[in-house]
Amino acid sequence: MIGLILFIAVMGFTLRRSGSTWPERFVNDAFGSVQGVLYKPVGAVASFFRDLGRLSDVYKENEELRKTVARYTQDRIHYNTIESDNKRYQELLHFTETQKQFYNYKYLFAQVIASSTNPYDKTIKILLGSRDGIKERMAVITADGLVGLVSSVSEFTSTVMPITEMDPSSPDVISISATISGKEDEAFGIIEYNKESKSLLMSKIDENAKVEKGDTVVTAGKGNLLPKGLIIGTVLSNQVGDYGLTHTATIQPAAKFDHLYEVMVVVAPDPDKP
Amino acid sequence: MMTMRMNRTIVAALVLLLLQTAVIPWAIPSAWSDRLLPHLPFVMTMFVAAFAGRHRAFLFGLGFGLLEDTLSYGHMIGAYAFGMALLGYLVGLLAEQRTTRTLAFTLLMIGLGSGLLDLLVYFVYKLFLLTHLSVAYVVYWQVVPTLLLQTFAGLALYLPVRRWFIKTAAPKEEAAA
Repeated sequence: MIGLILFIAVMGFTLRRSGSTWPERFVNDAFGSVQGVLYKPVGAVASFFRDLGRLSDVYKENEELRKTVARYTQDRIHYNTIESDNKRYQELLHFTETQKQFYNYKYLFAQVIASSTNPYDKTIKILLGSRDGIKERMAVITADGLVGLVSSVSEFTSTVMPITEMDPSSPDVISISATISGKEDEAFGIIEYNKESKSLLMSKIDENAKVEKGDTVVTAGKGNLLPKGLIIGTVLSNQVGDYGLTHTATIQPAAKFDHLYEVMVVVAPDPDKP
Repeated sequence: MMTMRMNRTIVAALVLLLLQTAVIPWAIPSAWSDRLLPHLPFVMTMFVAAFAGRHRAFLFGLGFGLLEDTLSYGHMIGAYAFGMALLGYLVGLLAEQRTTRTLAFTLLMIGLGSGLLDLLVYFVYKLFLLTHLSVAYVVYWQVVPTLLLQTFAGLALYLPVRRWFIKTAAPKEEAAA
């Protein structure tokens, strides 16, 4: 009985808190180093066999990539002009140094070293820690899109909670605000994940916003928690939501959440720093 | 009477925990990655419960449960520590009623134990409102496949455990049993 009470106390205590104690950090780092040694070679072997299976697709993929590169070069020229224009306007409008640095993100590459087998805490672990400047709630992405947020940090490793674990009605929720790329000023919603139907949803969209199939959903960057403009997925369908006042869109996630090999941590400039 | 070599068992469980977090995720195909979630230290806890008594199984389950919780800390710590300690104790209690240890009995314990553990963990998360899945869905989607996989893991580990981790103090009793 005392044991039961103790456990409920521990669970309740660890439910919503930030930071971690030294035994946790020690255990995470000690295991992390060995897991890193194992995970990488096994992953290399596994992806080698998967690549062998996909060898026939390489030509097609190559052609696609060529087209993309051609388009990218054009866009790049366009982007450079716009960027220099933008800088000029910022000077003209007397932007402060903080405002200028606001979207100057850094990306840190991190190797994935383990993934958990707890069905309600499907976290992954990366080989970057507080020593490398990782802090809690930083965004973690792959080349495809947003994967999750850093949930706890130790000296050399940190734990990442994927967006599929973020239930809007759980007590320790972190809501992700999202918008549609190209319609930033009209469409706005909250990302949630439905585990039973395995679909990502964007809820509470204004009914007048034109959200259509194929639109790209990106993070809105409201509330300074997540950086702006990280790709979350593409819209599959848009229907009237629970109470008939707002719309809810079903999203195909851009990133995959398992068999991850390497991810990137987005480091936004700290607004409190001088 | 049989006893276990606890030092070796603990090292083996640590190795299994490393395999479980770093190697097995690669071996399971993407479509099944949230259905097959084996807990190999739990299988070892069941062996400890069957061969070394309920008190040791309780401590073993508590230690490795806490370790697993800490390693996968996202929402909270303690669900697996609680479940594995409780089931280690209960299965140990059950096993002490029987004198013989057959393969079928051990596998039954592992299968039953892993089903109960997954349900217990589910109810703990449900209690703290961290999951909203229905029981039927969880049983069908995750508990049963994992139960089968863990029973197979138990089958694969049975011979190594009996050969290397168990010492029989009195061979006469073994022959009689």
